[in-house]
Amino acid sequence: MEYLETDADPYEMQKYLSLSGPSIETVEKVGDDYVFDIEITSNRIDMASVFGVAQEAQAILPQFGKKAKLKFNPLEKYTFDNLHAEPVPTHKLDVTIEDPELCSRFTAMVISDVQIKPSSEIIKRRLELSDIRSLNNVIDISNYLMLSLGQPTHMFDFDQIKDQKMILRRSKKGEKMTTLDGKEFSLPGDDIIIEDGSGRIIDLCGIMGGENSSITEDTRNVLFFVQTYNKRHIRKTSMTTGQRTMAATYFEKGLDPERVESAFVYGIDLLLEATGGHASSELVDLYPHKREEKKVKVYLKDIHRVIGVTIDEKKVTAILEDLGFTVKRHENEELAYPDGVYFEVTVPTYRTDDVDIKEDIIEEVARVYGYYNLPNNISPLIYIKQPHDMEMLFKTISKSKHYLKHIGLHEFINYSMVSEELLKNLGMDPSKHLKLSNTISKEIEFMRRSLAVSLVKNIKDNQGKKDILKIFEIAKIYTPRNEDLPEEQYVLTIAVTTDFFDLKGIVEGLMRELNINNYTYETKETDLLSQNTSTAIMSEDKQVGRLGMLRKEYAENMALTEDVYIAEIDFDFIQNNYSITKPYKDPITTAMVKLDATIDMKERVYGELEKKAYNASHLLQDIEIIDRYKENLTIRFYFADPSKNITEAEAKHELETILKQI
Amino acid sequence: MKSAKELLQHFQKQLAAITSLNTLEELKIEYLGRNGRINQQLKNITQIDPSERREFGQELNTLKEQITQEIELKRKKLLQIESTKQTIDTTLPAKSYPKGSLHLVTYAIEEISHIFEKIGFIRMSYPEVEWEFFSFEALNMPSDHPARDDFETFFMDYEPHKEHGKMVLTPHTSSGQNREMRRLGKPPIRMINIAKTYRPNWDASHVPMFHQFEGLCVDKRINITHLKGTIDYFAKQFFGEERETRLRPFHFQFTEPSFEVDITCDICQGTGKVNGEKCRLCKQGWLELGGTGMVHPNVLKAGGIDPDEYTGWAFGFGVERVMMMKPGIGLNNMRLLYDGDIRVLEQF
Repeated sequence: MEYLETDADPYEMQKYLSLSGPSIETVEKVGDDYVFDIEITSNRIDMASVFGVAQEAQAILPQFGKKAKLKFNPLEKYTFDNLHAEPVPTHKLDVTIEDPELCSRFTAMVISDVQIKPSSEIIKRRLELSDIRSLNNVIDISNYLMLSLGQPTHMFDFDQIKDQKMILRRSKKGEKMTTLDGKEFSLPGDDIIIEDGSGRIIDLCGIMGGENSSITEDTRNVLFFVQTYNKRHIRKTSMTTGQRTMAATYFEKGLDPERVESAFVYGIDLLLEATGGHASSELVDLYPHKREEKKVKVYLKDIHRVIGVTIDEKKVTAILEDLGFTVKRHENEELAYPDGVYFEVTVPTYRTDDVDIKEDIIEEVARVYGYYNLPNNISPLIYIKQPHDMEMLFKTISKSKHYLKHIGLHEFINYSMVSEELLKNLGMDPSKHLKLSNTISKEIEFMRRSLAVSLVKNIKDNQGKKDILKIFEIAKIYTPRNEDLPEEQYVLTIAVTTDFFDLKGIVEGLMRELNINNYTYETKETDLLSQNTSTAIMSEDKQVGRLGMLRKEYAENMALTEDVYIAEIDFDFIQNNYSITKPYKDPITTAMVKLDATIDMKERVYGELEKKAYNASHLLQDIEIIDRYKENLTIRFYFADPSKNITEAEAKHELETILKQI
Repeated sequence: MKSAKELLQHFQKQLAAITSLNTLEELKIEYLGRNGRINQQLKNITQIDPSERREFGQELNTLKEQITQEIELKRKKLLQIESTKQTIDTTLPAKSYPKGSLHLVTYAIEEISHIFEKIGFIRMSYPEVEWEFFSFEALNMPSDHPARDDFETFFMDYEPHKEHGKMVLTPHTSSGQNREMRRLGKPPIRMINIAKTYRPNWDASHVPMFHQFEGLCVDKRINITHLKGTIDYFAKQFFGEERETRLRPFHFQFTEPSFEVDITCDICQGTGKVNGEKCRLCKQGWLELGGTGMVHPNVLKAGGIDPDEYTGWAFGFGVERVMMMKPGIGLNNMRLLYDGDIRVLEQF
């Protein structure tokens, strides 16, 4: 209320401001005061201050029928013209900025013969309500200014600065300093620092001052500092040193060098009053490139077009002016109203980074006018064709997942990144995988080229939690390419702890569900799976998948207590061969003759046998294994001719032909 | 030859003694069968004086009807007794059928796709390993934007592309915006992109990979009311008809204006109070849903679309987040979804 006159109560302020401006998270009543906890978006650092919020309130509250007016504008009140210090320049300030890139404005002044003591009750209380510890009348002013105007400042003990010299420069990697919280740092390099000419670093700019020059009870001469810095350097230093100070969070958003002046003048006022000191140096103000106000042109019709409702132009102007913009109206009389109406909006310097184009102005109008005032309309319907491959991809993924779930499998979703150790344990070469350059953990360093690596780990992590495990994942794998993004390909991978034929049954069940039958099995050399307990899944002479037992040596590397069987299928194959149903066939209504034969399998492979049998007899409709004893299989053959009834003798003849062929 | 009356008495005696359906069936044949007693009697009709035949026939018919009825009655009684005789302990466990599970994110993705499909949004998929250009420049995020530094985005150890910059793991689904604009060449666009996203953040409540869903609508005369209405539609479909939404001002580089969407809390029904106490889940009755806004003109330009002719809206919400906010899910830590514990995952 220092800045604002209003009839809105704190809870109304919370509700209304949150809807149209800064989000007020909580209101807490402490004694007679109310404390707001406010979330400020990163583009509105100008709002992260008591004054900034007051200015927002001035624009927003009237939309809700509340009175709100700024009592005064500190940016207009506190200017160098109104600086009350009349310096007796007994101290000389020697400031050099080595690289103007680093610091957009540098102001400083020495206040002498200060008396260090506790702050006034009002400053103490306001800081403490804001969760800032009150230290003394000098340091507190620095924090108070930050809260009031959103500009961090710093105070030094001037007598601790050797030769009264200050050189602002980039740090070299490995330079050492101790900040005033007692932490010692070996600097990462390229940090903005101030040294006193002897190599002693006195300030880690924008983050925290040095311990060697901090204000103590014995301080007599205070050096008062207000600057704006290059935000990129501040963020980098703050993140790499882990010094996430409040000052850093301000500076890294980029502050307005114009506001340095107000913060400086207000600060000097407060310092002189609180410490009884007097100015003892000239004012230093290095400001090589003055920040100019910029202008944005916006048509009234565009405001209406984007917001979707018509807002009276007087209201538009009032909203912008209350937010600190200057608005000049123009009209092209040749156009029908309101098409010719446009505004030339002057943007205050503290909004330079945030307001650039007409859409930014439209946003200001829209939010203060109130999003709650706008109707809800569904976007106009229009047909857009979804590419066929996308449609099939999502459809078959969904069908596969639900089928596998219904037959008792559990879906896992794993990170796309895996560890080097895991790859090596499963015989894979990490160097053939895309690698993250800034991973935060060894666990997630390489982009996987096989989902099996993750599922084997899942099995390992869940050993002992269930008697049997049957799990699957459908996800992309990432195959590196030359000078291009990796190929991203969907794969279905299943892992079970049961046995080979259980796994094969799952795979075939899925294929049946999706009506896919153009695949065969073939024995192939394979890396992950054991040679004699695995098979490749082939379609049109191309390998589209494989299934089998994880090699024993990998199982041992992973400390698996039982065998794991894995199936991997390229999802392309599934997606491209899926059909909603298989073609209709008339049911066979003629006589079906069943004949059994026991066959010695010592020299035979069942898959071959089956193939040969069907080739040998066109009356053969089905084959079923009914018994298995040692090397012998008892097989039941079903014979029928859909066009006429056959006799048992005819069937026997067919069987003999088959037995000869196999 | 017995009279009808005698026959009936005899039948009733026999019937009373019957206790099983089988003997009842035998009795039925004995009397009503082709060679049963009734038919036997009928054969005797020739021995009867012609003047009495009519009456004799009627009597036999009545008898036959009565016997039929009594047998049916008895059958019903026996069946009743039979079915109460059989008892099952119905509390014994049932035969067990396999019950698998899908990841919670799968259900969310299917539901979200369906909701948007109904209003004409097509689901698409784009690279998850992407060039910086699509993840940032095309989204109006200049090279000094904090989201582009090592602390916010995963980079790949790979030679940068001459025009498109470094290779990254998509930190948001918004990289699909430019991809879709390029694919179509010009509006109209109605796209939904649900994909994996990655951020270097891994602790008790954060995971380095999660899912987002992105909506993009670009056309002539698209305005804030369309964004508001479409998001409200989604929220009501996904969370329930009784839920309300609101937009609050926010900031994102790729939208202007930008908003944060809030939805009324289901615990306190948007009142902010539960039994007179402050609701612990929400802020004054509202929960944050995610970010949205009108597509920034620079983003349209980067996609070859004239921002003076077309406008659009976009949003990007967290899939896990909205799913965990759905009433009745009861899961409140995203990490559980990715720690790979079968005992957690099998529950869904």
